[in-house]
Amino acid sequence: MLQELKDTVKKILEEKKADIVIGWKKGTLPGIATPLFMEYPEDVGELIFDHTCRNNLTSYLTKDKRKLSKDHAKVGVIVKGCDARSVVLYAVENQVKRENVFIIGVHCEGMYEKKKLRAAAEGKEIFSVKSSGNIVTIKGRDLEKSVPEKEVLSDSCIYCRYPDAREYDVFIGEPRKEVDVPEEFSSVNEFEKKTAEERWEYITEEYSKCIRCYACRNVCPSCYCNECFVDQNNPQWIGKTPETTDSIIFHLIRNIHIAGRCVDCGSCVTACPVEIDLRIMNKKVEKEIRERFGYTAGLDINEKPAMATFCEHEKQDFIMS
Amino acid sequence: MLKVKKDKINGLIGEFLKDYLVFAPVKDGSRSKFKKITDPAEISTGTVKSERSPKDVFFPQSEVLFEYDTNGVRISDNEEKPYLLWGVRNCDTKSIRMLDKVFGNAHQAPDKDMYKDPYWKKKYDTSVIFNFACTAPLSTCFCNWFGGGPFDETGSDVFVVETDGDLILKGVSEKGKALLEKLSVTIEAEKKDEELAETAKKKAEEMMSKPTDISNLFEKLSTVWNEPVWQKLAAKCVNCGACAFICPTCHCFDVSDEGKNGRGKRVRLWDSCMFPIFTMEASGHNPRGNSTQRVKQRVMHKFNYFMENYGSHLCTGCGRCIVVCPVNFDIREVIKGILDHKIKEKVQADV
Amino acid sequence: MCNGYLPIQMKVEKILAENPDKTLKTFDLSFVNEKDRDEFSYMPGQFCEFSMLGKGESPFGIASSPTEKDILKFTVNRTGSVTKEIHYLQPGDIVGIRGPLGNWYPVEKFKGADVVIIGGGFAFTTLRSMLVYMLEHRSDYGMITVIYGARNPDLLIYKDELKEWDKRDDLFLHLTIDKSVEGWTKHCGFVPTITKEVAPDPNSWAVVCGPPIMIKFTLPVLKELGFADDKIYTSLERRMKCGIGKCGRCGIGSKYVCIDGPVFSFEELKNIPEAF
Repeated sequence: MLQELKDTVKKILEEKKADIVIGWKKGTLPGIATPLFMEYPEDVGELIFDHTCRNNLTSYLTKDKRKLSKDHAKVGVIVKGCDARSVVLYAVENQVKRENVFIIGVHCEGMYEKKKLRAAAEGKEIFSVKSSGNIVTIKGRDLEKSVPEKEVLSDSCIYCRYPDAREYDVFIGEPRKEVDVPEEFSSVNEFEKKTAEERWEYITEEYSKCIRCYACRNVCPSCYCNECFVDQNNPQWIGKTPETTDSIIFHLIRNIHIAGRCVDCGSCVTACPVEIDLRIMNKKVEKEIRERFGYTAGLDINEKPAMATFCEHEKQDFIMS
Repeated sequence: MLKVKKDKINGLIGEFLKDYLVFAPVKDGSRSKFKKITDPAEISTGTVKSERSPKDVFFPQSEVLFEYDTNGVRISDNEEKPYLLWGVRNCDTKSIRMLDKVFGNAHQAPDKDMYKDPYWKKKYDTSVIFNFACTAPLSTCFCNWFGGGPFDETGSDVFVVETDGDLILKGVSEKGKALLEKLSVTIEAEKKDEELAETAKKKAEEMMSKPTDISNLFEKLSTVWNEPVWQKLAAKCVNCGACAFICPTCHCFDVSDEGKNGRGKRVRLWDSCMFPIFTMEASGHNPRGNSTQRVKQRVMHKFNYFMENYGSHLCTGCGRCIVVCPVNFDIREVIKGILDHKIKEKVQADV
Repeated sequence: MCNGYLPIQMKVEKILAENPDKTLKTFDLSFVNEKDRDEFSYMPGQFCEFSMLGKGESPFGIASSPTEKDILKFTVNRTGSVTKEIHYLQPGDIVGIRGPLGNWYPVEKFKGADVVIIGGGFAFTTLRSMLVYMLEHRSDYGMITVIYGARNPDLLIYKDELKEWDKRDDLFLHLTIDKSVEGWTKHCGFVPTITKEVAPDPNSWAVVCGPPIMIKFTLPVLKELGFADDKIYTSLERRMKCGIGKCGRCGIGSKYVCIDGPVFSFEELKNIPEAF
């Protein structure tokens, strides 16, 4: 599959179907790939695609004031299912024109989660991570261990309904349209069983770890505001200290701001240097949006976003309760 | 050299707790960071540096400069015991010494009191650092690029090697030597202990990868300002502050007033040159408006400007930024990329 | 221990709107405490952090001259949240300042020589300080030439003083506006063009202060006239926080505008790619 991917990217660059293609190459740490920007056909040599290609590369289309999209007439990007949904989101929200992106879909089998690899290695330093079948072998200092793949894959991947791109210009292999995930919202369902006090306690404890480095926001494909509300100072919306109240405000507003827009790519979870459980609230909001408006972000390029439309018969019980 | 038997270590910490505020690595979930301890049992030194650096002890993420109300400003002047830092690794010891160059003084006006940071000095000037040798450095450790090593004792007050749970102590600075003399639980180290320490040193040094020669880095950086290599190196950076906030030497800060209705406090907060608003002016003009410029600033500050002002690189090779970066922006690769970059001869433009 | 982060208290004595839109105001401040007054010693070109508790701080060049006793003058353009708050001040209000910060124009070095002052817009603040200082020590200096421009007559600051200076015969004042308007009898055209016309002697010292675009185009004119890089000075502005070389915000190359500057010669700046 990798060879086919390399050949495809090479051809795209040769035929100038895209001026630049973003993919992944082997990173300097085990289990983590790093973004690769390919401008010339020979650049594909380093390209990889495996369980380590965590980053949602489409976020580069909108980062740094959309510089990449401005510098290049057409940007190619290699996508997993979640990443492809981000491109759809950009198109729907008029951030990037669909025709200016060349989408290369790849068959995704899920991505490793840094935090889970660490946990599996019991805190020991990891030297290499290899998958074979459904078994992952982790080697490290005084360590050699095999675990079922599921134990180290990201939750976003384990409960992913759309592992393959639905919107693409070319797909390597045969895309699955949708896979059956009966427990898609299992973490949310568990969370909902707690009392309000317990939920608040959990959220407070998680968000109190925040150091306000904004890595979650900066890797998030849905966070592309030219000026984030936390950076505005006239008026200033939020205190700049890492005190828990301010951190909670930051995270909850971000949750609401990406309501109906989160594609659950898991980038924020991996990016967080202090391992906050950022997924639970995003998933909770995703569930609410699904139940209330029957909307899932990034599936249909012609569908208006849930938060940008209004129908009379939408559930409105939240107004009363 | 002195020795503290493993069963006496808690007693030693207990002695320190009488005269000092003791800060040591403490487990916080799966990670460790420096915290003020009241009980030796809290300490978790491990074999290598803590995930969070002890920078936070002297330069916390947010620090109140003063409180204000309609009557004016008030600074807290409560006397604290001197600080004792336990279980600091050499990369962090050196980082703290570097930060003192900035906060304890100023490169331009070394004699002016106005340029000495009173908040830093109050904590730093009387502090003692117990620098532990790293017995199992990580693959991301690259202190040896900067002339350091797992058993480097430069900058320590007291240098400590753990052997089979016992501690071997060596006074390095005058302050450290004086402190060791006062202790009651120490015994003289034997030749056997010194041999054990020597073996551990050899083993740790063998674990380090071969260092890259960075002796040209300062000069090279002075010549590459306009080179396209920066775009290439900076392309993947997403401009978050994870590296700067986890870095033991990054020290840029913001000042913000928190409060309302005429009363509140002025605090300083860590900031990062990676954020666009760092240099954004009120007019909307931003001298460092794009990502490449900001990455260049961070690299230049660390490996060129600081050298010019203070005579060393503003990096000790702790490797924390490599571990936390969400896009695997590896500073070692960046340094290599700069060193390997070949500047093309200027081609005469056709008129 | 001396604490460079603590503001001293100042009282607003007088507020003068410099233009009809009232976006530019000059504030005369007096010292609340005698001790602060006695210890506050500055030179033209230095700046202060103007502290509005609850809103934050902004740096401003001191517009008064050390020869004007007991009063500090600041001219503030309303742009951001701090300057907006400053504009709300009323006479009698108490504010904080930190300073004097940074270095100053080398007025000692200028002694015995001709000096040409080139300014644009509301950046004339520290230039005013220097000009008043030199006029107070008039015999120390040779010919003093001032070229000062703004987009329109309203945006020239210190209008009353400009009239006074215009009358003096020991000072050549060249005022200019971008485009001619009715009733305007002075120069018309951009500062670089007028500088070329005035053609100051390249043996003088030049101090250029104004918007970056003005500096960018005035510099080649001075070079063409024969000015050496080390004879031309300017004052830089950057976003600042601490003002004492710690917070890292105002870095340009290895220099910090707050303590290595704000006054730099072009000899110093030409090797700093970030300066403009």
